[in-house]
Amino acid sequence: MIAILCLALSFSFVQSASQIQETARRILQSNCVSCHGEQQMSGLDLRHRDTMLAGGGKGPALVPGNAEESLLFLAASHAGKLKMPPGKPPLSAHDLDVLRDWIDRGAPWDSTAATAAPAEPTWWSLRRPRRPAVPTVRNQDRVRNPIDAFILEKLESHGLEPAPEADKRTLIRRASFDLTGLPPTPEQVDRFLKDSSPNAYDKLVRDLLASPRYGERWGRHWLDLVRYADSGGYETDEYFPNSWRYRDYVIKSLNENKPYDRFLQEQIAGDELWPDDLELHGHYYGITPEKLEHLEARIGTGLYTFGPEIVESLLDAPKLAYERMTDWVDTTGAVFMGLTLACARCHDHKFDPVSQRDYFRLQAIFAPSDAVEIPVVTRMSRFHRNETYPRMIAVDEARRTYKLYLDGVKKRMIAAAKSGFPPEVVLAHEVPEEKKTPRQAKLAAPLAEALKTLDRDWEDRMAPEEKEEKRRLLEEIGKLVVLLPEVDASHLVNFDGFYDVPKASVLGHREPELIPEIHVLDRGEMDRRLERVTPGVPTVFEYLGEWDGWDPAAAGNATSRTRRQLALWLSRPDHPLTARVMVNRLWQWHFGQGIVRTSNDYGAQGDPPTHPELLDWLALEFVARGWDIKSMHRLIMSSGTYRMASRYSNPRNGELDPGNRTLWRMNRRRLEAESMWDTLHSVAGTLNLKMGGRPAVPPLTAEELDVLPAPFLWPVSADPAQHTRRGIYILSRRSFTFPMFRTFDRPDSSLSCPRRQVTTVAPQALWFLNHRTGLQQARKLAGRLVAGHGDDPSAWVENAWRITLSRPPSAKEKREALDLLDALSREDSAAKNEMEVPDELSSIGSARAAALTQLCLTIFNLNEFVYID
Amino acid sequence: MLDFQSCNLNEQVHSRREFLARSGFGFGAVALGCLGEEEAAFAAARQAGGVDNPLAPTTPHFPGQARNVIFMFMKGGPSHIDTFDPKPALAGLDGQLLPPSFRPEDLSLQFVKAHEAKLMASPRKFTRCGESGIEISDLFENLGRCADDLAVIRSCYHDSLIHGPAINLLFSGSVRLGHPTLGSWIVYGLGSESENFPGFVAMSEGNVTASDESLHGSGFLPAVYQATRARHEGTAFENLDPPPDVSHGAQTRMLEQLQSWNRRHFETRRDDSRLAARIANYELAFRMQAAAPELTDLAGEPESVRRMYGLDQERTARFGRVCLLARRMVERGVRFVQLYKGNWDGHAQCDQNHVDNAVAIDQPIAGLLTDLKLRGLLESTLVVWIGEFGRTPVVQGDGGRDHNPHGFSCWMAGGGIRGGKVIGATDELGCRAIEDRVHVHDLHATMLSLLGLDHTRLTYLTQGRDMRLTDVGGYNDLSERLTRA
Repeated sequence: MIAILCLALSFSFVQSASQIQETARRILQSNCVSCHGEQQMSGLDLRHRDTMLAGGGKGPALVPGNAEESLLFLAASHAGKLKMPPGKPPLSAHDLDVLRDWIDRGAPWDSTAATAAPAEPTWWSLRRPRRPAVPTVRNQDRVRNPIDAFILEKLESHGLEPAPEADKRTLIRRASFDLTGLPPTPEQVDRFLKDSSPNAYDKLVRDLLASPRYGERWGRHWLDLVRYADSGGYETDEYFPNSWRYRDYVIKSLNENKPYDRFLQEQIAGDELWPDDLELHGHYYGITPEKLEHLEARIGTGLYTFGPEIVESLLDAPKLAYERMTDWVDTTGAVFMGLTLACARCHDHKFDPVSQRDYFRLQAIFAPSDAVEIPVVTRMSRFHRNETYPRMIAVDEARRTYKLYLDGVKKRMIAAAKSGFPPEVVLAHEVPEEKKTPRQAKLAAPLAEALKTLDRDWEDRMAPEEKEEKRRLLEEIGKLVVLLPEVDASHLVNFDGFYDVPKASVLGHREPELIPEIHVLDRGEMDRRLERVTPGVPTVFEYLGEWDGWDPAAAGNATSRTRRQLALWLSRPDHPLTARVMVNRLWQWHFGQGIVRTSNDYGAQGDPPTHPELLDWLALEFVARGWDIKSMHRLIMSSGTYRMASRYSNPRNGELDPGNRTLWRMNRRRLEAESMWDTLHSVAGTLNLKMGGRPAVPPLTAEELDVLPAPFLWPVSADPAQHTRRGIYILSRRSFTFPMFRTFDRPDSSLSCPRRQVTTVAPQALWFLNHRTGLQQARKLAGRLVAGHGDDPSAWVENAWRITLSRPPSAKEKREALDLLDALSREDSAAKNEMEVPDELSSIGSARAAALTQLCLTIFNLNEFVYID
Repeated sequence: MLDFQSCNLNEQVHSRREFLARSGFGFGAVALGCLGEEEAAFAAARQAGGVDNPLAPTTPHFPGQARNVIFMFMKGGPSHIDTFDPKPALAGLDGQLLPPSFRPEDLSLQFVKAHEAKLMASPRKFTRCGESGIEISDLFENLGRCADDLAVIRSCYHDSLIHGPAINLLFSGSVRLGHPTLGSWIVYGLGSESENFPGFVAMSEGNVTASDESLHGSGFLPAVYQATRARHEGTAFENLDPPPDVSHGAQTRMLEQLQSWNRRHFETRRDDSRLAARIANYELAFRMQAAAPELTDLAGEPESVRRMYGLDQERTARFGRVCLLARRMVERGVRFVQLYKGNWDGHAQCDQNHVDNAVAIDQPIAGLLTDLKLRGLLESTLVVWIGEFGRTPVVQGDGGRDHNPHGFSCWMAGGGIRGGKVIGATDELGCRAIEDRVHVHDLHATMLSLLGLDHTRLTYLTQGRDMRLTDVGGYNDLSERLTRA
């Protein structure tokens, strides 16, 4: 049964004769014509039917009507002695089927077509989406918008029953977590329940979309996709001081509902599309909005500055450039095109029509570019900083004074130590190690030993007045550091980090003469250069024809603004991939799985769409709505499909489609790591909603510190308020993942992650039971309950449920919770004062405070707390 | 009251069998202790693809003698020419330039220019050890007594000159980040057999400065296959101890109510196996808390065993403890135990550096091999000793040696290996592997093979490719030669 459904869910292409002809032509073009075209190798030219019939040195290539006797087919399928293309595997089964079919049909060849535009490819995702008719379904009363018609049509055709609509409590909790990553407050829940107007739900969705929390939630999805990190990874894990500006750019762009085409254009070519010297001139109060917009667009190109950095390649500039361009092309392909271009670096793509040449043409687009740092403040602020720079020099001089003093002390101690030995010992010691005679070595040994000891403990042996002087000099440095200005003279610009001019890491350009030549590389190896290539997009897309902004004459010119052209090309409204890929991502982040489940792979290795018509409908709708992301959220969330219950079972549905690929109910979802963190802090009332800025660094436990490769990797934020920021703001290092996030499936940030895995393992239970974060937040929640409701256990329980689970407890749960409180307050586990106890809690006595804290901790551990229906 | 040590959970859930079948629970096939004969059925069920426990034991591709691995990583790169690869010719050329026949211009090194640097003989003395007569330097006198169990591979090589990428290569078969480490692949391939502990544990004697993700990450494999970091002192794993002000009694009471609420929640969501799995995990977590102290409590180990591992000596006690814990983990079914010893990066005073390092591990490793053998565990436990590369015969600065990935040594023992063998050779001066060259991919293929896994079939589809630990290499699989008499 299941197999039948799977078949029904996939779909095939029945091709007309003219399509076959076009496809055959494309296959010959991309596999054979580079040798058997103009070059006429072995005298064979496969560009025309008559030359194919005439053949070359090995006889006719084509026997129309009989593929099995056509040399062309035998060679391409490696069935005979002659195997083509040389040194490569046979053509794919699909291509061979097409060739066979074409020849068996008599090898039709419309010679006028030879000069016509390249044919539209056969693979579904590379063809333009076509607007499908919205189907009519039997269950018309369940259609809230066209999405439902597409979904119901499939359900009905398979005899699957859709789940009923979820209740309002479920809906507000679902929508709130989905759009903001946070639970609704009890007040929000009450308001929504009371609102009986027909558009109550739409208002809810609109309000949630308007919340700044939306950008923080959906920004995290995007950051997974673009392999965002604050450091380069590998052993040295180079710190990227400015990555966070890109993170803030993403959050801002989403919150402001920047159209997706613009969002894409800014990231690929913000600098080339909106060229600007970015000299934020004028008075500091007078930066023009236009300049700020251009600056923002430029920060979008930060996407290309925080990829993983293979340290080894830092030693070798061409290799570094190559590795970076590889990362750039792979990331661009995965993020914006949903294609696994990486495969084509070493060989023509085995499954998709992307050749190695195509791959390197894409690299050539990026070849003129380089990552640069630009100041993001006015010249005046830079001036103010330079004006006060002598203060930095003073710090440096104070540090030198300190070091010189200590050097002097040590030298005196060494001299004193030596003076305690006879001169011949000192002399023997001075002889270089490898020239010492055995006697000299023996003679020098006691002195060497004494000096070794001195080297270890000379600072302890310093005289009291020397120690005092050392302390004074250190204090001097400290004073000067503390006195460094934190803001510039305008009091508008905070210096970045340690007295640095705020900067952004963005893309810029190399000097024209330094632009690396791009060659196809045999097996992707740098020293095996083949033909040189010029910038371009994969030839399979040539059928799309000219597009606005692409200048074919300039295309070969490496200094032309090639990223601009790529960005405009990708965001053309008829691009077959861009809109499909993005609406599918939106769909996936709403439903837990995409219409195309492999949301970074639209090639032959990826999964076909479960609802191809719906995907095309959504893609075209997205473009028609001006690439308006929030509008798509509203569209999707207002569908009956989104509003279905997840708590619904139906034996027949379960048997036919256990994976819910047809969406006969809503998918239940576990909170992501950051959402869990945010929710724990939100329900306890401790979540710091400050937005943006340098990464927040919460402290680690002693156990977690034990596995930290080096302490400086995790410079804990001094201000405790920073420790309860939203998860998206927490430092994201490639060499060391924040342990809580690691435990809960935060993806590796070296490659684009389109969809997180969800594992369920025992260390997660241990974290929730035993990690101090859970207990701290439980105690805060307990404090919040006591502060709000005095000494009223019944109200504690009632409100604990409302705050954490968005519902009141059942009578039974309430009784059990009160019993648990009683039992726990009899346990001898009063707070041991290791952590801060909220004042409110002290009023109910330590045993009951501990019990209430433990009840709250128990709630945090509930499946209902982390799984959203 | 629910007793977490017993099995009465099936009173609440339809049947224990159903419960398990729905669970992708934590650390092993047998999350609940009293499963008995159902284990085998369960393992078979995963084979049939019917169960979503990603850690259930599987049947290997073919029978392999090794079931567990202890992987000892010598961070920094120990010098092969001072340990397991004697170069008498070097002694005669001490202080001279590398002869042109060794193509010094083509020998790329990190800091040293090979054509300008002078050769430095090994100050170490090599002796023929055991019946097999393998030559091992006096840095490893104790280990030398186990020579007949060792297969020394003297022709390892790869092409990464720097620690970071070389470590990635050694651990994941790729210089790039984001690829799963060896232990992840093996647990992915074979599952875990431990009731109470993770399948893949990493333990360090001290601070190993290397990218955490390079050593422990599961890369593109699900996070369930990542290493769990263990400490050799105090609590073995993170978050095992209840927080300071939750008593055991309180926690038991909390868990009892928690599970009752979770089961009630599950009653109306019975077709969601993740919820069942999470319930099972709380039970397992509780059991782990109970079992872990026993793992790290060495009090029961007899004095003779403690001495064997060097616990009685200050300089060997730390690594001895690590080795002894490794044996105890293997005994408890942990599939892959990863140990570190650093830092061997002898850019200056290489010999002193190596003496200090070797002293700390020689006795413990010899003790581990001997102990495993006495207990009959060596046959099924593959022990591997390797650094991310070797070092140069030419000197760097003050008695140092530079990195050398062009030729270096490692050794393996146990897991079906018939010891007393030497495989491959470097050139006369130890510059490059020349005979029977063994790439890191080949080492990986060999290890997988000893465990019954075919490196070309152990794949995971991601980024549009069926990824392998061995990428496109690994065709010099040594396992057949290693296990032959």
